[in-house]
Amino acid sequence: MLELDAVTIAMPERVLVRSLTAQVAAGEVLTVMGDSGSGKSTLLGWLCGDLPAGFLASGSVRLNGRDVLALPTAQRRIGMLFQDDLLFPHMRVLENLLFAIPSGEPRAQRIASAEQALRNAGLDGHGPRMPASLSGGQRARVSVLRALLARPEALLLDEPFSKLDAALRQRFRAFVFERIREQGIPALLVTHDPQDVPHAGRVVELKEEADSA
Amino acid sequence: MSALRRARRQAWLIPATIFCAPLAAALWFGISDSIDLTAWRQLLADTQLPAALRLSLQTGIASTLIAALLAVAIVTQAHGSPRWHRLTASVGGMLALPHVALAIGLALLLMPSGAIARAIAMFTGWMSPPDIATIQDPNGIALVLALVLKETPFLVWNAAAQLQREGQGDEIEKQLRIAATMGYSRRSGWMRIVWPQLLPRLALPLLAVWAYGVTVVDMALVLGPTHPPTLAVLAWRWLLDADEAMNRQGAAAALMLSLCVAIGACLAVAVRKLGRPALMSRWTRGDRPASPSHPWPWHAFMRAAYLAIVAMLLFISVAGVWTFPAWWPARWSAQAWLTALASAGTWSTTLGLALASATTGLVLAVAWLETTPASWDARAAPFVFAPMLVPGVLLVGGLYELALRTGSDGSLAGIWLAHSVYAAPYVLVALAPAYRGFDPRIELTARALGKPRPVMLWRVKWPMLRAPIAAAFAVGFAVSVAQYLSTQFVGAGRHASLTTEALTLASGGQRSLSATFALLQAALPALMFLAAHAVARPRSKA
Repeated sequence: MLELDAVTIAMPERVLVRSLTAQVAAGEVLTVMGDSGSGKSTLLGWLCGDLPAGFLASGSVRLNGRDVLALPTAQRRIGMLFQDDLLFPHMRVLENLLFAIPSGEPRAQRIASAEQALRNAGLDGHGPRMPASLSGGQRARVSVLRALLARPEALLLDEPFSKLDAALRQRFRAFVFERIREQGIPALLVTHDPQDVPHAGRVVELKEEADSA
Repeated sequence: MSALRRARRQAWLIPATIFCAPLAAALWFGISDSIDLTAWRQLLADTQLPAALRLSLQTGIASTLIAALLAVAIVTQAHGSPRWHRLTASVGGMLALPHVALAIGLALLLMPSGAIARAIAMFTGWMSPPDIATIQDPNGIALVLALVLKETPFLVWNAAAQLQREGQGDEIEKQLRIAATMGYSRRSGWMRIVWPQLLPRLALPLLAVWAYGVTVVDMALVLGPTHPPTLAVLAWRWLLDADEAMNRQGAAAALMLSLCVAIGACLAVAVRKLGRPALMSRWTRGDRPASPSHPWPWHAFMRAAYLAIVAMLLFISVAGVWTFPAWWPARWSAQAWLTALASAGTWSTTLGLALASATTGLVLAVAWLETTPASWDARAAPFVFAPMLVPGVLLVGGLYELALRTGSDGSLAGIWLAHSVYAAPYVLVALAPAYRGFDPRIELTARALGKPRPVMLWRVKWPMLRAPIAAAFAVGFAVSVAQYLSTQFVGAGRHASLTTEALTLASGGQRSLSATFALLQAALPALMFLAAHAVARPRSKA
């Protein structure tokens, strides 16, 4: 479970997020909506341990009971998906996935996990291809697989559907939400498009004043 | 009208021909001079060859690898931190220090009676300079150190230029953030994600560093081994010999060095291709090594070394009698400065050549950029980078032959041509990003207001681009001032410049005077960069 308690993010001249309190259960996607500049992406950046210079943040964040704010990004076990797929262009698809899988298992087993993930995502046989040779939708799916194969305990989604066309967007949304449910991890989705909100999902809207869910 | 348009469309041929013809001719003459069976037999029979070639390769390989590793360490540590902007600014200052000035300053620090030995003497009680070859050592360690000091900032500067390309810095920061969310430290992210993408884009600068390391003459004359020297220095001596057979042997040695550079580059490409599976397996094995908690402050070391070198040059230029192991000279003397400042001929030759070559380079670069689309820059790349990649001893031989055939050998005109061949590519490389990035809508707006093209260029485009134009001019100026081989060889030793004087005096052991000339050699380009900076300042609003 991801627990945010009295989270406030401010710039010297104005408060972006005021006293936000929310709990996101395993497998649930909580949507954070708001206008451009309302602090949605800044909130995700802060949760990841990367608050931009000039911002101040306070409050507490617990992930499965652990206080994550004191930890560096690499130790928080919070995955992230951006608008761009950000696949590493010098690595093949399979290598991108292997990069994410933690060590500790024999290489053959790690390769088998990555290939299984590709098969489940309808990308069977795409492992040896370079990211540049994939379509936008395929790249987007690989980026989700990569984020999840790193075995995060929570996932942050920073408008990951906004660059896809309408038809692809719907399919990709369903793909992502299904994976999150399967993995059983809490997720925070930032968007300004109401259509991105998962069915029966909760929504937090960032406004001038405090909101809570 | 259509004839005029056709003529305009072909206008690029003029700068391209002016730019390429002398270079192509010099390369042709340089290579054809070196293809002589007798000369090759003579070269291969020379007893100095094996040791000299080994030294050349050894210094080239060591300096390239160490400079590349240091550049990787410095960029990895600083990029994305508040230190980054300070670092890129200081790297510019390091690049402005000419090779010869750095070599002389480093020699003064390292030599057995230099500042470092005096510092050690405080603890060891040495009363005379230690009998150790700390410069001109048989293994070329001092030369490697100098090359590393000079080439690391060059590689850092090139890496910074790549990272500052539109969107590159942001993209890399996002990739690093993705890697961090997967549990990778920033250092691991750089090593597995960023550098594998960045290094191929630094192939040409790395090749230039490798080529320079293997074939360097000017720095090797000050710091390199002497018995035998590196092959480049041997080739240089043979080229200067009065005996024509020795000249041909020198040309053959120059070609041999060029082949070594080419083979080394091919080997590096092959190793990279063959090593990819092993590297990829290592990068994707899933381990998450932690970053060292206290990384070495490599950039601070570099900055300290440069400050020490400049301070040493200043100190020695006014030091009179300075016995070992004293920390302070017995007396001070301004004699070296008075002598140097009185060398009006040397000053005016250096200044005149630098102004003429930088102007030529700038005119050619602007003409190329105005008459060709950006996509053509890739076609020009082999010619642009040739003077940086072809060993100086080979190209300078060709330039001399060209000067001979045009009757300009030993004349200032011949040296100007040779300097321009070296300066023009650097000016183009420095100017192209800003010139190509100029918003075409501004040009279109000016033209739509009824202004003819020359007026648009003179009143709108060039004033708006005055900062990069001034900076590119300063780069060409600095390249010309630093020329040693071409000034000496094409000028047949008849025209002294600050660089040739500094080197001659360093070889003759005249420390104060060589330090003074080295400082002046560094001061001229520095002043030009300051002038360029002043030109680039926005105009007062008053």
